[in-house]
Amino acid sequence: MKKKLLLALLASAMLLLAACGGEQSADGGEVFEFGAQSYTDPKIAAQIVKILVEENTDHEVTITEDIQASPQILASIDREEFDFAMLYSGEVYNNHFDDVEYSTNSEQTIENAQNLFGEEYDITWFDSIGFKNEYAIAIQGQLQDSEGIETISDLEPLAGDLRLGTDTSWVERDNDGYRGFQDAYGFEFGDVRAMEVSLMYEGIKNDELDVVTAYTVDPQIAEYDLRILEDDAEFFPPYDASLVARNEVLDNYPEVKEIFDNLVDTVSTEQMSQLILEVDLNGRSTEEVAREFLENEGLLN
Amino acid sequence: MNLIQEYIEFWEIRYENIFEYLLEHLSIAFVSIIFAIVLTVPLAIGMTKMKNERLKQAIFNVANFFQTIPTIALFALLIPIFGIGFTPAVVALFLYALLPLLRNTYAGVESIDQGIVEAAKGMGYSTVQRLAKVELPIAVPYIMSGIRITTVYIISWTTLATVIGAGGLGDLVMAGIGSNNTYMIFTGTALAIILALTVDLIFGLIEKRLSVSRG
Amino acid sequence: MMEFITELLQYMSDNSAELIALTVEHIVMVLQAMGLALLVGVPLGILAAKVERLAPVILSLVNILQLIPSLAMLAILLIYFGLGNETVVIGLFFYSLLPIVRNTYVGIKEVDPGVSEAGIGIGMTPFQLLAKVQFPLSIPFLMAGLRVAFVIAVAVATIAPYIGGGGLGKEIVGGINGQNDIRLIAGAVPAALLALMADFILGIVEKTTKRRFRSVS
Repeated sequence: MKKKLLLALLASAMLLLAACGGEQSADGGEVFEFGAQSYTDPKIAAQIVKILVEENTDHEVTITEDIQASPQILASIDREEFDFAMLYSGEVYNNHFDDVEYSTNSEQTIENAQNLFGEEYDITWFDSIGFKNEYAIAIQGQLQDSEGIETISDLEPLAGDLRLGTDTSWVERDNDGYRGFQDAYGFEFGDVRAMEVSLMYEGIKNDELDVVTAYTVDPQIAEYDLRILEDDAEFFPPYDASLVARNEVLDNYPEVKEIFDNLVDTVSTEQMSQLILEVDLNGRSTEEVAREFLENEGLLN
Repeated sequence: MNLIQEYIEFWEIRYENIFEYLLEHLSIAFVSIIFAIVLTVPLAIGMTKMKNERLKQAIFNVANFFQTIPTIALFALLIPIFGIGFTPAVVALFLYALLPLLRNTYAGVESIDQGIVEAAKGMGYSTVQRLAKVELPIAVPYIMSGIRITTVYIISWTTLATVIGAGGLGDLVMAGIGSNNTYMIFTGTALAIILALTVDLIFGLIEKRLSVSRG
Repeated sequence: MMEFITELLQYMSDNSAELIALTVEHIVMVLQAMGLALLVGVPLGILAAKVERLAPVILSLVNILQLIPSLAMLAILLIYFGLGNETVVIGLFFYSLLPIVRNTYVGIKEVDPGVSEAGIGIGMTPFQLLAKVQFPLSIPFLMAGLRVAFVIAVAVATIAPYIGGGGLGKEIVGGINGQNDIRLIAGAVPAALLALMADFILGIVEKTTKRRFRSVS
């Protein structure tokens, strides 16, 4: 009986492993993979690409969401498991290349990303889709009102008593992380806690945190009356969002490339912030929100 | 060679932070374990004296239920009640520790030869005396081994506490994943394992001591 | 509270097809991992029991595997095996090895030497002794290990989405990232039920095997 059970398990395992791979779309085209991190903006961008590709070509796009972080997305592109993704220019300073020149200039950073990632992964890093999603130091509104804090430097006298909430990698990031921040601003916070981004805002709401490393596109900034402080030491690098695609796909399917080209500079930071708000705070689906956006912008014929 | 040099450099820059993560990790794990011990050991001993089988089963079922909730989900579910950080992490790990502690302590006390208990009764020991002088000393090695196994697991699971802002070595692992730094992933993982093995070793020695002194 | 439950039920019935598909995917991942773990773990356990010198090596190795934090394990496996359910299965397989190897080992070691002697006495070869006496007698222990492994695997499988895998974790992780408690619970409830059910069923199997295989000894 034992043996039969084992054999049955083994057989089912084999079958399921064999069942994967080799797909074709319903219209006889290709099936492309879009990989999205756990944030809402790449998920919306993925839907935008999916809708446009599926409406305008014979191809289909499947989306894999909630991948841990950008390095994992890039690793999967390298293995040709993902064809498309949405990444940020500042990623180029995230420990991928030893000899990259650090710059807080937007154009320079995007150029770095296009050259370095383009060559390393054989991908095209398109010009920005139009919005920025940078790290920014944001504080509770009442703190700004009572202490008159406008810039990050203004935080210095208070910092020892402040609780900072941040994402799980900022504290240890090399160039644009907490270490660099302390060098640039010369102070540190009393308590620093790393966590999932969505919980950061939960913490602000419940008054368990005073300061967060927000992303500039997050609608929660307005929702929870957070104030972004001026980065007066020009410390944070730019994070312009761009679509990326494997060159092999773009070369073979110019109709796909055309779609990606046309998406350059179409979604502003305010617009993306509004779209995220619809998803995160109003509970609508990313697909619905993306479609509505494309219709309103006349991008869908 | 280069790799080793780079890795040493990594430690030179970050050792202060790393020790902080280690300390956080230990405190989360130990606070949860200690709370769990304080609750379950007396409870399990009480349960061996309990006549009501249904109630006993119910207690086991409750402890078992907590064990089955996926860790990530349990952490997330505790946030509305306990907020973020240390407290919900400790509560979650405490809940996970209940079942193994309960099971082992219960099994330990249960396994005591009834002949010995009867003999103690014959000597005129009261229930409390019997428990303190006869049953507990015999059950201690079992209880200790339950504590040991549970602590090792809890130390490993504490790594997930990073997602709710509780810190610990999981911070290092997650930061490594997010910032493309294998040294961090490796260091966080290795330290969590070493920590668990060290605790296992120390508790193992204590266990041996206790059973030797008994025999 | 009532409102929340109504909303949850509404969501679950609206998405029942999707939820069932995810549950099946979840079960399949866990079953594949268990199959692999039995296939590799039982021989390893027997080897450890038979070759005393290898026992500490094998047992500490699987013990260390078990202690690797799940997020790190998946991140490391991602580098070598790529995205998707197969990688998750490999991770679950690693986590399941310890209870299965250890319990096989303990089970065989626990077999009453008298019984083994008797086997040798009636002229059994060492292999026959293992196949006909020692292994069958250790099955209840193995079942207890499988039960532990199963419950752990069901829980660990919920972090599969972080490396592009599926299963009920999709609802859970999606719910956490989208601050959507309904989704989170809609994924967590079936996952917990799955673990409870597996625990219950394998508990019965454990008892039955105990009766069948132990009554002889």
